[in-house]
Amino acid sequence: MNQASISPSKFSSRFKSFFRGNLGGWIVILAMVLLPFITSLISGQSISNLLANESGMAKFVQGLAIEIFILALYALSYDLILGVTGLLSFGHAMFFAVGAYLTGILLKSFGWSLWATLGMVLVAAIIQAILFAVVLPRVQGVTFALVTLGIASVFYIVIQSHEMSAYAGADVGLQGVVAPEFINAADHRMRFYFVTLGLLIGMYLLYKRFVNSPTGRVCIAIRENEKRALMLGYNTFYFKLIALTLASITAALAGCLHALFQPIVSPHTASMGFTIAALLMTLIGGVGTLSGALVGAAIYRLLEYGLKNIFGEQATFLLGVVYVLIVLFLPYGIIGTWKLRALQIRSGWQRLIGLVTGKPKQA
Amino acid sequence: MDGSIILETKNLRKEFGALVAVDNVDLRVQANTVHAIIGPNGAGKTTLFNLLSNAFEPTAGKVFFQGRDITHLPTHRIIHLGIGRSFQITNLFPNLTALENVRLAAQALGKDNFRFLRAASHFKRYEQRAWEALNLVGLTDRALMPARALPHGDQRKLELAIILAPDPKLLLLDEPTAGMAAEQVPEMMNLISQINKTSSKTIILVEHNMSVVMNISDRITVMHLGRVLAEGTPSEIAANPEVQNAYLGKLYGDMKKREA
Ligand SMILES: Nc1ncnc2c1ncn2[C@@H]1O[C@H](COP(=O)(O)OP(=O)(O)OP(=O)(O)O)[C@@H](O)[C@H]1O
Ligand SMILES: [Mg+2]
Repeated sequence: MNQASISPSKFSSRFKSFFRGNLGGWIVILAMVLLPFITSLISGQSISNLLANESGMAKFVQGLAIEIFILALYALSYDLILGVTGLLSFGHAMFFAVGAYLTGILLKSFGWSLWATLGMVLVAAIIQAILFAVVLPRVQGVTFALVTLGIASVFYIVIQSHEMSAYAGADVGLQGVVAPEFINAADHRMRFYFVTLGLLIGMYLLYKRFVNSPTGRVCIAIRENEKRALMLGYNTFYFKLIALTLASITAALAGCLHALFQPIVSPHTASMGFTIAALLMTLIGGVGTLSGALVGAAIYRLLEYGLKNIFGEQATFLLGVVYVLIVLFLPYGIIGTWKLRALQIRSGWQRLIGLVTGKPKQA
Repeated sequence: MDGSIILETKNLRKEFGALVAVDNVDLRVQANTVHAIIGPNGAGKTTLFNLLSNAFEPTAGKVFFQGRDITHLPTHRIIHLGIGRSFQITNLFPNLTALENVRLAAQALGKDNFRFLRAASHFKRYEQRAWEALNLVGLTDRALMPARALPHGDQRKLELAIILAPDPKLLLLDEPTAGMAAEQVPEMMNLISQINKTSSKTIILVEHNMSVVMNISDRITVMHLGRVLAEGTPSEIAANPEVQNAYLGKLYGDMKKREA
């Protein structure tokens, strides 16, 4: 046997296993990349019209997809602290809203450049994560949820206050934010689409790597049994701080994109209701699965859009019913349940093969 | 300072309201020995362990490890000094594999805890340590099962592997055979004795069954109602009339109760 004959087959098998392991992901990415082109073809719009940013179904679908990507980033960040690290925060909307309001105010009222604004959003995200974390050594579980709700509620009130109204627009919200021309979603919808998609994919891969890294594994251990993690010698505070910081940066980035994309930043983004949206999206998709957050965000937004279109205002009630049904019938969420089934089917096959070949296999 | 004393407590005391769970305990444990702490239910053995491993703050008194005052160190520092502690009630990461349970224990003492851009599988030495510890307790063929799916006896072994992985100098074992089937107990005791002999680790072992520890202990401390009732070699303890009175009398009383 010579060396040369081994390496290409080894390479191709590695190549294959890389694709097989992530096949679903690659298909979704490909579909998302092709989405603007496919919708423009279906609606009979020429590609050159699409590239010229002409309005039509393709532009509309891209807009809806951008909203989903932004929500997905937001849900992903919530899954990191709830699903991976096991911290129940009821103040997550604040992470998003700080990014959104800060972006809007700095661009509109202070005339900052986009890059300076992004830098400031990053600093603010880190500060608010530390703010959430300082209470961690003192409170646990439900108390942490209540404290974070308290902090976020203060922010919710301040952002709507009379004193802030010149900047934040009180209860109407922040209007008239003009995104820099090169990324303006009205004029360059497809560019904004791909920037958002790229950021989402990048963040998702970063999160995947994080939960599999030494640091992320400790976060999972904290979720499983924090007292034991302490006893193993981990100062769990720092790991929770890291998870909160990464989540805060991600949510603030989502908020920032939201402010650049939407004509208005509503105080709703800072409300308890928007935190519950994050909780719902992760529940629908499957807590702690990461990819579930993306699926959850898509279903959440599409359901809302679809039902509102058909039933108008009654949709809110129906949405509630649908969520209850999903949580009742898929307690591990869509991705969580699917993974469980796949595992059961695989071990079922192994048992069957074991029976046939007479060699029982350990599960 | 006596060089051969690895752990020492002075007037260690813990009160829960009116209840004195640990009542001015002075304990001296020789290095490289197996030192058993026995006593009936509620004697304060687990509470004493919680004080030694700094899970509880004592009401009064001090704990010294290798001559160093460790009374007020936070829990997560203890293992870094070389003290590993197992639990009477199984205390694992239930949804993680046995291997990952032990790997986390090995990783804790390394310097890679804050590497978050590299896969954990890149850091082979921790996995290596974990396999060694699993091998020592005989769990390698169940390494990939989630901890919660292991039979109870194997969970006790896993508990032991977890505290062996960071290679501590002192092991605090709280009823390592708790809940085990009687026929599995000798195996566990042999294992503990083996660990003490082959890697010269000091072991403090809590039990409430005296006969279990008679063979493997160098010294025995008997606790009763939070106090040290007696201390000595196994034969001294077996011959001690006070121990027989209080401890065996209590056992006898329990037996009576069960019969009734
Ligand atoms: N956290 C606590 N709060 C209040 N009382 C406690 C606490 N922990 C233990 N106690 C009490 O302290 C006493 C000693 O309990 P401990 O668990 O130390 O006994 P033990 O010797 O380990 O008993 P066992 O053999 O049953 O494990 C008991 O009366 C118990 O009820
Ligand atoms: Mg006990």
